Amino acid sequence: MPGALRHTARTTRRAVLRGAGAMAAGMAIPSLIIPGVALPGTARAEQKFAGQRLTYCAWGGAYQDGQKKAYCDPFAAATGLTIDQDGPADYAKIRLMVGSGQVVWDVVDVGSAFLYSATPQNMFEKLDFGVIDKSRIDPRYVTEHGVGDIVYSYNLAYSTTAFPGDKHPSTWADMWDIKSFPGKRMLNANAASTLEAALLADGVPPAKLYPLDVPRALKKLDQIKDDILYWETNSQSQQMLVSGAATMGLINNGRVYDSVRKGAGLALSWDLAIQAVDYLVIPRGSKNVAAAMALIDYVTHPEPQAMFANLMVFSPTNPDAFRLIDPKLTPWLATNPAYAERSVLLDNDYWRDNLDPVTKQWNQWRLT
Amino acid sequence: MEPVAADLTGAGPTSRASHLLLVLPATLFVLVVFALPVAWLLSRSVSDPAWGLDNFRTVLREPVYLGLMRNTVQISVATTVLCVLLGYPVAHVMATCPRLTRLLTFVVLVPFWSSVLVRTFAWMVLLQNNGLINRALLGSGLVRQPIEMIFNRTGVLIGMVQVLLPFVIFPLYGSIRAIDPALMPAAACMGATPARAFLRVQLPLTIPGLTTGATLVFVLSLGYFVTPALLGGRRDVVIARMIQMEIGQFGDWGVAAALSLVLLVATLSLLGFSRLLVRRGRPT
Repeated sequence: MPGALRHTARTTRRAVLRGAGAMAAGMAIPSLIIPGVALPGTARAEQKFAGQRLTYCAWGGAYQDGQKKAYCDPFAAATGLTIDQDGPADYAKIRLMVGSGQVVWDVVDVGSAFLYSATPQNMFEKLDFGVIDKSRIDPRYVTEHGVGDIVYSYNLAYSTTAFPGDKHPSTWADMWDIKSFPGKRMLNANAASTLEAALLADGVPPAKLYPLDVPRALKKLDQIKDDILYWETNSQSQQMLVSGAATMGLINNGRVYDSVRKGAGLALSWDLAIQAVDYLVIPRGSKNVAAAMALIDYVTHPEPQAMFANLMVFSPTNPDAFRLIDPKLTPWLATNPAYAERSVLLDNDYWRDNLDPVTKQWNQWRLT
Repeated sequence: MEPVAADLTGAGPTSRASHLLLVLPATLFVLVVFALPVAWLLSRSVSDPAWGLDNFRTVLREPVYLGLMRNTVQISVATTVLCVLLGYPVAHVMATCPRLTRLLTFVVLVPFWSSVLVRTFAWMVLLQNNGLINRALLGSGLVRQPIEMIFNRTGVLIGMVQVLLPFVIFPLYGSIRAIDPALMPAAACMGATPARAFLRVQLPLTIPGLTTGATLVFVLSLGYFVTPALLGGRRDVVIARMIQMEIGQFGDWGVAAALSLVLLVATLSLLGFSRLLVRRGRPT
């Protein structure tokens, strides 16, 4: 999820307290770390890292608190490792650290945009899949340098005040139908996800989405050019939709969950939701690579993933985690198997190779 | 500004040496934590990824960069002009009505006490189509369609002017306070209308404060990107945002440095030009 915006993340304590299932999932972790009882998959890792330290870096706020609780604390308790927290995961800082050899972050939660632009620049340690059991993770969410820890998605959402009853937008194409569904629409100010939505609305089949036909996407966007608001931050997208500045638009699933939980009249369509992934990476030159790999391996287990999903309503990359997630939350999660058939995954390889030129084309279009 | 500086430095060689000593710590500090890193960054415009002028070629050839520069300069100039027009009367009242000085200082400084994000979101609540202002206007029957005040250039200017106003008000306040209070009545005595007295006496004397304030606002505007991003529309992308993306997203230090250098040179020449105009326009 882009940048600094996770700061205003969700407080989902209430959501957790609501479901007994969630409580059980929350309890599952402490019960696993009674002395003498090993963590799943780390049978011989008992106090293996006693006296060692590493720094975990995510996005601050409730998001990082959740990951500390779900990923770091249980692992630290089981292995004797001391884990310091730092954030937000400023990408320019990572580049400077790696460039100067002064790497102080050992495991970092980064968005896919950064993973795909920085991998060819040799910013990350290659992961040791002898230590990290990647078979636990859906293979679409693993690369040589990053293991997906959470999935979120860009969905079409709309205001139920503007569209009460059955006649409401439900596909990307409906965003272009100003007659049937009046009002401003909103899109991501970044090209990734917005261009995909335009092409899907134009009838490009999901299987043929990549490589993106950028001119076709921009032509499609021309049709509603003056009816679009662009959001730069996730909290802004939430604000636009809740306040009625836009009646529908592209937005992160978690933001809609958060608004609805707070009583806003919004609804979400899961048709061709565009999935994006956050990855755990190890900046190249980390001085604690062994412990960092082991921590990433721990996060591939269902328990930490389910705990984080229950706390923050981000979707797990380990499909097994669903059995530990509060059933009230699963309809909001992007990797819910029920949505699998009608979902699209942002293509890392495409964006790695094309981020720079496509962003230039995109900004040029915005200026004209 | 200049006359004061001249008085201070004209005090002989010994005091000049002690003055140098006084500014030495601050100078060293700025040199180490600011000038050196900036020089390091700017030098990458000709050295990253390879020696040469390729980065400048990219920057000047790619229409999108020029478009973003034009945007940035337009927004900054408009912000500066609006700040001066709105700030001058406030500074005048602050300087000439002592009873209001404290209240106005407080009001002018309030924006500094809240974060840019909080402030910007507050503007969204106020300015959007079904926000407080538009609802009041519609309710009172003054307008029939909501006025589009946000997610366009208007929104950007409202947000930026509010934040930057103090930078023009305080230097002006100092300038106006420094004017001998007998001068304006004297001008009136000599038969000048208030407008003429203002234009021929007060305005020229406050030019130094005005230039300082306007320069501050202009230079600060050039680097703003949060406000344009959150309150602006499709077209309101500024160069600072692009520089940030070049470094953070693309890791292209060379192009980022070239953009910064072009922006810096453009700014300095604009400032030099405006100084020249001011100097030429000043009565002797």
